[in-house]
Amino acid sequence: MDKTIVIIGVGALGSHLVLLGRNWPVRFTAIDFDRVEKKNTMSQFHSRMGVGRNKAQAMQQAMQGLFGLRLEAVPHKLTADNAARLLDGADLVVDCVDNAEARRVISQTVRAAGIPCLHGAVAADGSYARVMWDASFSPDEGAEGVATCEDGEHLPFVAFVAARMADAVQRFLKDDEQVSSHLHPGGILLV
Amino acid sequence: MSELYDFGLRPGEARLNITWNGQNGDLPDAVDYDATQQQLRGWAEEAIRAGSIPGVRADRGADLSNFVVDRFPATPAIPYARVMLRPKTPFG
Repeated sequence: MDKTIVIIGVGALGSHLVLLGRNWPVRFTAIDFDRVEKKNTMSQFHSRMGVGRNKAQAMQQAMQGLFGLRLEAVPHKLTADNAARLLDGADLVVDCVDNAEARRVISQTVRAAGIPCLHGAVAADGSYARVMWDASFSPDEGAEGVATCEDGEHLPFVAFVAARMADAVQRFLKDDEQVSSHLHPGGILLV
Repeated sequence: MSELYDFGLRPGEARLNITWNGQNGDLPDAVDYDATQQQLRGWAEEAIRAGSIPGVRADRGADLSNFVVDRFPATPAIPYARVMLRPKTPFG
């Protein structure tokens, strides 16, 4: 039976991860409350057709239309109140959100439920990223709210990080291996 | 004289890895694995300003006050301890 991968946040990292995972024998669920803005089309796998739509639903429509990939879209914000319900049944959770509070809720929920979880986290200036399994991850505090990846400035690095996340998921799907890494524009540091 | 471990590290020492402006490198000298965050930031700032980290261009304005310290003990795959000094990574 196919595994269910729940991706929380389909912005820069999450949208590209779905794109790179389109050949996996899994069921995807995308959770995102945000809407696609025109500027997002420069740094995220969202097109002009999706502008104004909910990101999870725009992702669902794009993947269905371009690749015939079925994806469940959940257009809600994940909170401490609904996290257990939204993540119930997941075989793998992938955290691609953009704030420490949501990351804490995700970690608390997956730890309580025993669900494997991969976190993707990028610096605002596109100079560093972490692709970490939950056991060794803690969110960075106090760095939200600054502009990032304006006009797709860091798109090559975002794609690099998303590819590393896709590789980590593939290894996990193949034999439950959990490989964490730190990335900078010049390479990968295994941790 | 105490025995040197692989990679020139003694017990309790670690490699300090630094990323600044997207450039990455190791401090040539080993550091104490349990050094304080303030000490680590200070050594790294001094080294970046002096241009003494291979792979990282000298920058007299280096300011690591908001950087995060991650400590990783030796593993079978990487048999020496590492300390990483990195920018915060809030986005996804």
